[in-house]
Amino acid sequence: MMAHIELQNVSRAFGKESERVLAVDDVSLAIEKGEIRCLVGESGCGKSTTGKMIAGLLPPSGGRILYEGKPIDRLNKEEYRAYRHAVQIIHQDPYASLNPVQTVKQIITTPLLRHRKVNGSQQAYRRALELLEIVDLTPAADFLDKYPHQLSGGQRQRVSVARALTVDPKFIVADEAVSMVDVSIRVSLLNMLMRLKNEFDVTFLFITHDLALAKYFAWEGAISVMYLGRVVEDGPTPRVITDPRHPYTQALLAAVPEADPELTHRKRRIALRSADIPSLLNLPPGCTFHPRCPYFVEGECDVSAPPLEPISEGGRVACPVRKDEHVSLLIPS
Amino acid sequence: MSQADDAFFHHAAAGEKPPLSLRNVHIMYQSRKGAVNAVRGVDLDLRAGESLSLIGESGSGKTTLGLGVVRLLVKTARVTQGEIIYRRDGLEMDVSQLDARRLREFRWRECSMVFQSALNSFNPVLRIWNQMYDTAKAHGWGDRRAVREHVLNLLRFVQLDAERVIDAYPHELSGGMRQRVLIAMSLLLDPQVLILDEPTTALDILTQRTIIELLRRLKDEQRLTMLFISHDLAIAAELADRIATMYAGKIVEIGSADDIFYRPRHPYTLGLIRAVPKVIGEFEDLVSIPGSPPDLVDLPSGCKFHPRCPFATDRCSREEPDLEQVGKDHAAACWHWQSVAEELADRPLHQSLPTLQTAQSGE
Repeated sequence: MMAHIELQNVSRAFGKESERVLAVDDVSLAIEKGEIRCLVGESGCGKSTTGKMIAGLLPPSGGRILYEGKPIDRLNKEEYRAYRHAVQIIHQDPYASLNPVQTVKQIITTPLLRHRKVNGSQQAYRRALELLEIVDLTPAADFLDKYPHQLSGGQRQRVSVARALTVDPKFIVADEAVSMVDVSIRVSLLNMLMRLKNEFDVTFLFITHDLALAKYFAWEGAISVMYLGRVVEDGPTPRVITDPRHPYTQALLAAVPEADPELTHRKRRIALRSADIPSLLNLPPGCTFHPRCPYFVEGECDVSAPPLEPISEGGRVACPVRKDEHVSLLIPS
Repeated sequence: MSQADDAFFHHAAAGEKPPLSLRNVHIMYQSRKGAVNAVRGVDLDLRAGESLSLIGESGSGKTTLGLGVVRLLVKTARVTQGEIIYRRDGLEMDVSQLDARRLREFRWRECSMVFQSALNSFNPVLRIWNQMYDTAKAHGWGDRRAVREHVLNLLRFVQLDAERVIDAYPHELSGGMRQRVLIAMSLLLDPQVLILDEPTTALDILTQRTIIELLRRLKDEQRLTMLFISHDLAIAAELADRIATMYAGKIVEIGSADDIFYRPRHPYTLGLIRAVPKVIGEFEDLVSIPGSPPDLVDLPSGCKFHPRCPFATDRCSREEPDLEQVGKDHAAACWHWQSVAEELADRPLHQSLPTLQTAQSGE
């Protein structure tokens, strides 16, 4: 089966010569139609840059991105337009991503009319009502004349989703889409996105720094863990979460505080050799995690970058030293 | 450095009293839309050596309350009612009555605050040392050599490369390092009480862990009295002895960390716990709280949570409940806390780990 979106050895650099930063370094991954894929990692790991490249907002500096099997830089005008419609992005900050002087009605009907998804303003109005209902902004008519400042963060994010839906997307890149929303309404936002996946067969790339959210949203999908521009581990979500193999994934999962006092105090502490994340301007040789890794093997880890290798439990791990070792993240009680 | 201004302190009654007591504190903002009731009658004791976590969503009034204690509210806000009593060595005073000079002494020396945004808390053109020394000097401690020695010790305590960091500019430090410097700075004048507003919110996971471990050392080794303000329940689970849930400017539940997480009695606390996913273990269904947080300019009648509450009855829309004893050292402001208890007996929280279930049923 042909992947919906495929990245082949994709890299992205920023800046000139001496200040050159490799934000994404040789990333290959394939996302199938209807899949939920999470991209997790800390700030600066390249997850948002990867999302922007997939959405066509940034060109890669190396490698290529395939949309339904065709490199996006080789698409003709018609195909390129179809790709840009099919792949939509929802940004993190709903306070910055909506035009403050447009009403919800304008925000939603403008793309509908511009891209001829409807015939005339009467149809645009009806379609706008439908879209607002899909994102649970009901009664929809009450929201049409509101300005973004009259909406809560959660409501704004729903408007962003409705706007993305105007062009009938098949693939949504959600970049920290619920991170700025309050805890009590986060879950309903996630459930709404999940419904889109099921009802409209939308494929999701869900970018987040929050592993618990990744687990909840992508339990039936897959997770890719990024560190300093590279994917260090990927696989089906239940495997990555319950049986992480890369020392970085393990360190992350062990470090996350849990909203349960007993559980959080029973978690194993993984001591890193260094607390500081290396600068992208001066990356260590070999595996970039080696200066912090508790399993560092001299002469091996600091020599060449380990490739992602498949493991029998599912997915791939870029650590020849530890990929076959199970580590329990809980101290037995 | 505990030479408090004795003349100012009133002699308090004997017995171990909490270092900080809030009595019926109300704080209001003036906004274009009208008066905002940010804090509506908070009673709270911060006990000696404890760490208390204030949890709640944005707009619940938790940060306003913290700023009110150190009197750093913006000009449009003021404490309209109530007392903020601070005590040390059997003496007490009302923070809201302090004049400018005494207030300056109260801050840093008695009570310091660590703010959410670590970068904004520094003067960008001063080296860490100058910033620390200025603060010490402003509080009458001008012995350069002794201050420097003390600062180096504090920086070592927060596990920084002290010799390098002391002469660095803020922009030369990473987010986690800056947060550690801020915590070190807050300890400069050996305060009795430390208020931390979202101390780990903007940090990456591994950095956050180092700050949590540092705060745990402050709590366990230094027995510092700490008030944590956080929207993140997990930080409360990590660090709090007691937890207070705030909603629409009021404390709606307060109890030990175990009571709040395993035996919540307020529907809002229960809702928060059921809405937060855990990383460890199998998949769990999450339940969101319907509706959205209230408009503080135009609050609902009765219990402010009733429009979102699955337990609400007519009474809840008419009368606002006060905090009521629901267990030992555990209070909740809900007319239906017993129904919450019954629901939890049928459908316990935290089902994924068998050992935790026994911990609950053992109660």
